[in-house]
Amino acid sequence: MRLVDRLRGAQIGRVWTALALCAIPAFGVRAQANLSSQGFGFPTGQFSARTYGTGGALAELDPLSPINPASISIIPTRLVTFQIEPEFRSVTTSNGTERTTTARYPNVFGALPVGHGWVMSLGASTLLDRTSTSVFSTTQFLSATDSVPMTTRFRVDGAMDDVRLAGGWAPLAWLRIGLGAHAITGHNLISITQSFTDSVRFAAFTQQRILGFSGGAVSGGIQLVSKTVTAGFSARSGGNLNLSAEDTLLTTAKVPNRFGASIAFTGIANSAISIRTSRDNWSSLGSLGTPGLHAIDAWDTSVGADLAGPRIGDRTLFLRGGYRMRTLPFQTETHTVTEQSFAGGLGSVFAAGHVLGDLAIIRSSRSAEGLSASEHAWTVSLGISVRP
Amino acid sequence: MAVAAVFAIAACSEKLEGGKSCPLLCPEQAITLLDTIIDAAVSDTTVSGLPSIGNEGYLMLASHGDTVETRAIVRYDTLPQHYTKSGLDSTIVNIDSAYLITPIAKPDSLHRPKAPLTIEAYNIDTTATDTVASVLAPLFRPDRLIGSKTFAPESLLDTLRIPVSTDSVLDRVKNGTRLRVGLRIVSTQGVDLRIGSTALGLGVTLHIRASKDTAAAPVNVSPVSRTPTGQPFLSGPLADYTIVLNGTTLTGPNLLAVGGVPSRRSFIRFNVPAHIVDSTTVVRASLLLTQAPNRRLDLHDSVYVFPVAVLAGPAITDVGSLLQFVGAPGQFGLDSLRLAPADSGVVAFEIVGLVRTWRGQSTTISPRSVALRSAVEGQLPGEIDFFSTKAPASVRPRLRITYVPQINYGLP
Repeated sequence: MRLVDRLRGAQIGRVWTALALCAIPAFGVRAQANLSSQGFGFPTGQFSARTYGTGGALAELDPLSPINPASISIIPTRLVTFQIEPEFRSVTTSNGTERTTTARYPNVFGALPVGHGWVMSLGASTLLDRTSTSVFSTTQFLSATDSVPMTTRFRVDGAMDDVRLAGGWAPLAWLRIGLGAHAITGHNLISITQSFTDSVRFAAFTQQRILGFSGGAVSGGIQLVSKTVTAGFSARSGGNLNLSAEDTLLTTAKVPNRFGASIAFTGIANSAISIRTSRDNWSSLGSLGTPGLHAIDAWDTSVGADLAGPRIGDRTLFLRGGYRMRTLPFQTETHTVTEQSFAGGLGSVFAAGHVLGDLAIIRSSRSAEGLSASEHAWTVSLGISVRP
Repeated sequence: MAVAAVFAIAACSEKLEGGKSCPLLCPEQAITLLDTIIDAAVSDTTVSGLPSIGNEGYLMLASHGDTVETRAIVRYDTLPQHYTKSGLDSTIVNIDSAYLITPIAKPDSLHRPKAPLTIEAYNIDTTATDTVASVLAPLFRPDRLIGSKTFAPESLLDTLRIPVSTDSVLDRVKNGTRLRVGLRIVSTQGVDLRIGSTALGLGVTLHIRASKDTAAAPVNVSPVSRTPTGQPFLSGPLADYTIVLNGTTLTGPNLLAVGGVPSRRSFIRFNVPAHIVDSTTVVRASLLLTQAPNRRLDLHDSVYVFPVAVLAGPAITDVGSLLQFVGAPGQFGLDSLRLAPADSGVVAFEIVGLVRTWRGQSTTISPRSVALRSAVEGQLPGEIDFFSTKAPASVRPRLRITYVPQINYGLP
């Protein structure tokens, strides 16, 4: 299936309404303590909504997912894409179940063909989203006869982001190659508020701190195309990663290396059935936190399909489905957190081929072996791509 | 797809937080508080006569025999010579009635007199210095009595009407001279009454009716002082004031006193380690004082004692002056304590709101000091005493500070 095919004619539709609604500001992004946001946060995957619809199986082949720089070489025209991705999460422990919503905007980028088979792109995607809020009550004993009940609100806003400048080239009909330069940026705004039941004797306080990330990486990828099979391989090599508070360097680590491969059967017109696996060397982030931070290397494997479905008018509706299983990068104490998810999605073009809309719905289950806690989430991923 | 899109976007504004999964899944725990008690008070002193004469919120009219005797003085240095009748001015040639309209603070159940009381008004005009007790005391004699009235305890609600001699008032109106009235309270038992003063806009009004004709408007004269001449900053407050005839006490060096007769304030200067003030977050600061029982008067009378900020900088070195530049009660969130003179033991004034203002400020900008004052200073004789820095070590003022140390938080 080619992107150019998917950008074929349709009338201006409800997508513009969706675009307008996207301008509504979010009033906050909060979550409670959970399995998925341990350590430096939740790895959203850097997938487009289309790739999400296949469980991630198309990640090495999809030009809208900032994974394999070779894939952007098939973008035929100037393109801007934006993604919104709320997650509705419930966490169950012996204390009960709590539900929360986390809104994310994990992927935005633009691409520009520059001639001679070259396409350049610049985009930003979320590598690790740490946004969360924990509220809990404790009693502090100040002396043998003096104690004070207090409530602590620990809020983290922010993420570690991956800003990628990439170039893709298709020198031959069966070969696409690409390179990317990555800047790892972003910050975590840490806010601690402690309030006291006895507000006469004790005064509440709030402390804030901004932790900033700065690092770099390079990536490269290749795609091999035949009539019935497309294969993609990519890898990222991490450079230094620094964590600073204001002008003070706190810790250093390495940006995680990654490699991945997808292979897809494309023998059905405008369709792809794919399998993918990748390995992230998250353990290289271990030295970025305290000694209690346990980051582990993780596999991320998925299988899925993107099939040309029924035609509605002159518009083809793409139907997607997939399954994914992976290990999350940060342990809960010493318990490894795993995730399984099922995904389904739709995609089509609108506005005479000027707008491409993708929608994916993902049901995820997360657990940690040996821990009496579980987490379930519905994630809605909506991607809008516009060709000016 | 559009429905799903709207659904997704609607989720943008949703806010939720929780902590049920703590501490199982919470990577962060509550911040530990540290608590320390330090002998931070480096100097302290008590200054009598504050608020200064004429600046009392209410005038203290007290009679406790040999223990405490006070008088309230009200000056009417300008008396009108005309009244209005049917829109026309007429010269006052006769006075039908004259009253002192006297606002009072309604006594609460604890302060309500146990027996009827009489308020006597005296002409205390003199050419001598009439802000001195020794000059004024002899003027409260029968030949100078110009009015009196006896009140039952239950009649003490908000305003008292005390008739005064019309001849005395008319004489001064006609001659254009001043009228200065001294009020004395008399009862078979010890009694305290708070009389309204001009400091709060509640001065005692001289009410003159110059004609029996109901069309004639009464003349109301507010207290005003013309002396010291040409010094309105001094003469203004002297429109009314309190004079203590008996019962003036002194505070010993090992005590800090608040309230009393004459009213007094206390001042405490601290030396708090900079590593606490500047490098931590203070969540509690308690000024621990050991109360010394004062069994002289109103033993069980409740007195609200306020810690207040000293607003003057170190350029002012006179403590008496410093204690006149203090913040309002309740400012910086400083709360009061309700104490009785006869109480004893350790009390804690919470001053965290003040201590937090010291953070990052030099002592020249934000002096490490606090003042103590009574909510009824100069109005009631109750006095609260605390042991000072010159008392034995076990009862000296101390500062208990609970703080959050500087921590390296935020790293997972």
